[in-house]
Amino acid sequence: MTSVDPHNPPPAASRDTGMAAVAPWISTAARLILGGVLLVAGALKVVDPQASVAAVRAYELLPTGLETVVGWGLPFVEVALGLLLLTGLGTRPAAAAAGLLMLVFIAGVASAAARGLSIDCGCFGGGGKVAPDQTAYGQEIVRDVGLLLLAGWLVARPQSRLSLEPAR
Amino acid sequence: MSAAPSRRAAEQARLVAEQAAARRRERRILVAVVVAFVVLLVGGGIGFQAWRTNRAPTAAPTALPVASAPATITDARPIVWGSAEAPVTLSLYEDFHCPHCAEFEEQFAGVLTRAQQSGQIRVELYPMAFIDQGSAAAANGMACAAEAGFGPSYFAGLFANHTLQWSDDQLIELARVSGAEATPAFTTCVTSRAHADWVESINVAAEQRGVTGTPTLFLDGKAVDVAGLTPTGLETMIAEAAQK
Repeated sequence: MTSVDPHNPPPAASRDTGMAAVAPWISTAARLILGGVLLVAGALKVVDPQASVAAVRAYELLPTGLETVVGWGLPFVEVALGLLLLTGLGTRPAAAAAGLLMLVFIAGVASAAARGLSIDCGCFGGGGKVAPDQTAYGQEIVRDVGLLLLAGWLVARPQSRLSLEPAR
Repeated sequence: MSAAPSRRAAEQARLVAEQAAARRRERRILVAVVVAFVVLLVGGGIGFQAWRTNRAPTAAPTALPVASAPATITDARPIVWGSAEAPVTLSLYEDFHCPHCAEFEEQFAGVLTRAQQSGQIRVELYPMAFIDQGSAAAANGMACAAEAGFGPSYFAGLFANHTLQWSDDQLIELARVSGAEATPAFTTCVTSRAHADWVESINVAAEQRGVTGTPTLFLDGKAVDVAGLTPTGLETMIAEAAQK
C-alpha cells in the first residue's frame, strides 16, 4: 500500500480508497456552493417582501393567497436550507429539500417559457415582467440543473469534511 | 472458568448497545433541533413580512415641496408635473409595486426633480397597475393626491414605502406623513377607488404605446434604455434634448 509502482497501476480497491478520501471533500464543496447560493438567493429576496410576492405572481401559477405565503415564506426556506448546508447539519434531508426546490424552480421556469410569458425568474430578488428579449430561461434552467446535480450528489454522499454533523 | 469471558462479552455487547442508543438519541435531538430551526425561521419570517407589509408608512427621506398645482385627472392622460414651457417631455411608466421602479426612483428621483425645478423637463407620469391589487390601489391614491395638490411628495412616499401592501388605511396615512392633510374628500377618493377607471385607461394607453415592463422612460417620445443608465448619463441626455 505504501509504495506504488508507477508502471503498475494500482488495483481497483486502492483507487476506491482514493475516491473515499476525495469524496468527502467534494461533498464539502457541493455543500458550500449549494448552501451559499441558497443563502444569498434567500437573503436578497427577504429584503423586499412585496417584490418577492410579485415575482411569484409573475409565474401565474398559484392562487392569490398562496402567492403571498410563498412569496414571503420561500426566501426564508432558502435561507434555512442554505444555513443547514453551510454548517453541514442535516445535510442529507437539507440537500433533498434543496433538490426538490430546484425541481420546482426548473418546472416553474420551463412552464413560464412554454406559456410564452416574458418574466425574470426572480431567483435572486427582482422578478416580474421583462421585455420579451430580456428573458434568460435557458441560463436559469442550466444553473438550476447544476445546483440540482450538487443536491443529488449530497443526497448520495452526505458525509463531508468541515461539517458540524456528528459522525454516524 | 468459561463464565468470565462470556460475562465480558455480554458486558461489551451492552456497552456497544448503549453507545448506539446514545448516538440514536443524539441524532434524534439533532433532527428535532434542525426541524425546529427551519419551522421557526420560516414561520417567523412569514410573520415578519406580514408585519412589514401591514405597518404604517413612514415619511420619504428627501422631502419634496408638498404643495403642487392640483392636477386634473383625464382618462388615458398622465399626471403632469413641471412647467408647460419646459423644452423636454419625459414620460414615465411605473408600477408602485415594481421593485425595479423603486430602485429607479432611489437612484434617479434627484435628477428628475432637479431637471423639473430648473424648468428643463415636464414629467408625464403614467402609474401602471399590473402587478397586484396594491398597485391599483396605490395608482388610484396617486391620482387622488395629485388632484388634491400634493402629488409629488405623495409619489415619493409611495416609492419610499414600496414594501407596504397599500391598504386604504396605509394610503390615507401616507397623505399625513407626506406633510399633507387627509381631507374627507381625499379619504373618500381613496376608499371609493374614485379613479379606478382612469387607472385602467392608463394601463390600456401604456399597452397601446408598447410598454411591456416598468420602469419605462420616453424622452421626447424616444425610448430610453434604462439598463446601465446612470444618474449622470440621464442628466446628460436631458441636457442634450433640451438644447435641440
